[in-house]
Amino acid sequence: MPSPLDFADLPFLRDALLELVLLGIAGGILGAWIVLRRLAFFSHAVGSATFPGLVAADASGVSPTLAGVAVALGYAGGVERAGRAGREPSEATALLLVACLAGGVVLASDVFESGAAVDRLLFGTLLGLDGIDLALSAAAAALATIATLTLGRAWAALTFDPESAGTLGLPAGVADFLLLALVAVAAVAAIPAVGVLLVTAIYVLPAAAARLVAGSVPALIGWALALALAEGVLGLYLAYWLDVPPGPPVALLGAATYLVMSLVTRR
Amino acid sequence: MEVLDFLLEPVQSGIGRRALLEIALIGAFCGALGFWVVTERLAYSAESLAHGLLPGLVLATIAGAPLLLGAAGGALAAAALLALAARDERIGADAGTAVAVTGLVGLGALLAFTPESPTRLEELLFGDPLGVTDGDLIAAALLLAAGGAALAALHRPLAAVAFDSAGAAQLGVRPALLRLALLALLALAVAVAVQGLGALLVLAVLVAPPVAVRRHAGTPGRAMLAGAALAVLAGAVGIGVSFHAGSAAGASVALALCAAAALGAALPTRARRAARPGAPARAPRRTPAAPG
Amino acid sequence: MSALRVEGLSAGYGGPPVLRDVSFEAEPGETVCVLGPNGGGKTTLFRVLLGELEPQAGRVAGPSRPAYVAQTERTRLDFPVSALDVALMGTLARGRWWLPPRGADRSAAAAALERVGLADRADTRFGELSGGQRQRALLARALVQDARLLLLDEPLSGVDPASAASIAGVFEELRAEGRTLLVSSHDVESARTFDSVLCLHGRQVAFGPPAEVLDRSTLEATYGSEMIVLEEGGAKRAVTVHHHEHGDH
Repeated sequence: MPSPLDFADLPFLRDALLELVLLGIAGGILGAWIVLRRLAFFSHAVGSATFPGLVAADASGVSPTLAGVAVALGYAGGVERAGRAGREPSEATALLLVACLAGGVVLASDVFESGAAVDRLLFGTLLGLDGIDLALSAAAAALATIATLTLGRAWAALTFDPESAGTLGLPAGVADFLLLALVAVAAVAAIPAVGVLLVTAIYVLPAAAARLVAGSVPALIGWALALALAEGVLGLYLAYWLDVPPGPPVALLGAATYLVMSLVTRR
Repeated sequence: MEVLDFLLEPVQSGIGRRALLEIALIGAFCGALGFWVVTERLAYSAESLAHGLLPGLVLATIAGAPLLLGAAGGALAAAALLALAARDERIGADAGTAVAVTGLVGLGALLAFTPESPTRLEELLFGDPLGVTDGDLIAAALLLAAGGAALAALHRPLAAVAFDSAGAAQLGVRPALLRLALLALLALAVAVAVQGLGALLVLAVLVAPPVAVRRHAGTPGRAMLAGAALAVLAGAVGIGVSFHAGSAAGASVALALCAAAALGAALPTRARRAARPGAPARAPRRTPAAPG
Repeated sequence: MSALRVEGLSAGYGGPPVLRDVSFEAEPGETVCVLGPNGGGKTTLFRVLLGELEPQAGRVAGPSRPAYVAQTERTRLDFPVSALDVALMGTLARGRWWLPPRGADRSAAAAALERVGLADRADTRFGELSGGQRQRALLARALVQDARLLLLDEPLSGVDPASAASIAGVFEELRAEGRTLLVSSHDVESARTFDSVLCLHGRQVAFGPPAEVLDRSTLEATYGSEMIVLEEGGAKRAVTVHHHEHGDH
């Protein structure tokens, strides 16, 4: 077993650790809202939708992160415009996502011939997490915190009773879109570390497990934070030890934690 | 004739012929079954099932077992886990499904990435029509024959249930059993088709053909046939393009199917408002559909 | 000076109006019972008054943000909030919703819970309260808003007697405070206890004191000829028999 001290000594591991801590913060806080407002599918879809853009940017030297954010915000805008219908997974959305994945693969293997990039983009990487990735994750964590402190009460009131917007004077549409946009940006932030396919390992799995034990919104956020950080850091260690990308171990830990807590709390 | 030669080039090679045949067989059955997948709102379940059987595929390749076995086993395990997870009302079906699917995909990937594993993960995710074996072709042919027969036998009760489940029950149809049969056919179709299209793309062959034809086909029977035909055609186009452009075969087929869906959905229907497929002569809704 | 004045109101959802020619006035401290079949326009009227729906014709002159007490079925019962949290939501209406609740907000919420008799249940999860207690919690939320006009959607339907008594008691207090209440209901008998009755069936059928309005012909016009009057525990309820017809609004 590798020594945990490696995480202090080796620069790339230090970066990876920092990345997963930042993502853990974003994942715990936003994850609570994602679970409460039923945005799990959206958080997965927005990751997949950026895949072809990331491949193209990656191959042409443009920062994939910025390209990803642009695509993700566009997708979020489209979903908000579609209203209710945009939230539930429909056939059109499913086909769109399949087309994005297929398109990305074709671009990667045959247009740009950057086959190795596909695994990295799909499941994440320990190496090569650069300053931009860390900056975006830090931004996601910071924005998640600020948004919860200012918009949290409005989000809670609107989730509890969507029809109360008029009577409480809350800007429902704006609050809603801000959450979607935030989730979109945060999802893109997670892609370098855990990959396009496993974004939900950060943003849904810890919060889902937390939901099983939390009786109030603040408790939910607290539990989700703790679980997201623990799963992220432990998953990173496993990735280093087993020499695999970080996405899969974090996902597996998240699912296992949920399973255990689900059995323990079953009434 | 040059154009003809160009078009027929893929068929000249053994590999090309087999890939074409595999995709055609899969497409024919899935294009027809897809009509019921969409009508019964099972697209998302099919997607989750396909993603979730990844560990089965990886284990099969590690053990050197036939892929179909891994796919079938993986599908069963995934179906069970998905049913359990989606039932938990505390977090909602979408989050529950995400937990199950993400966990399974993570498990599959983890197994695939361990250094001793010989798997080529990309083929499992995106399909490998060019690597189709005789066994795969036989399986696909059997699927089409047996599954096709099942669909032919069941399509009238399925239509009755889709239109009006309670009424159909009065007529002696058992909606629960039918749904089970449909789910079984779906799992089978996914397990066989995953060889050609991969866990991530197989949804295209189930959902794109019905989306393309549903506004144009007048009855369930016609929708199934049209879907099958369209899937075969799009599949052939995909293989052809992949052959000439040198692009990934499975992904090219998936893109061709999605393009067909977009085209079919965008084309105007005939002016005569025939009964919508899957819901013939539905009673007109009270208008406006707003609370009083 | 009236608290609420509606003149010639028509409203709909994009097509022809589903509610037409509504004109009435309500004074401060007045309670109005809104009667009508489902689909008759009660909810539409409320939505216009809440500012969620633009009228197609006519004017509404009244407080800008009435408090709204919905039926508990419209809320998420699985959402992790306590009764106190729900009452506290009312303070969002005070503006500056982006700031955390102040001490004054918290006391107002606690006081509101006290008024509806839920002080001992302040920390109970909303989903674990009984139907009547949930209704009272939603009423507490409206009380916190300190609104001059309150709109209540069938607040007493399916509610246990203790909660019903508590709610009715609060109504009296609100009247004494000079607030105006619009209460939609199916209970024709209880409408007699209100100051005025407004009958809606796609249009305004009648408005006035219960003694004038609640006669057979008005009720028939409101509920259509398929009205049946049920006796339920001493109260008469008007129920309609629905036909599958088009354009019943």
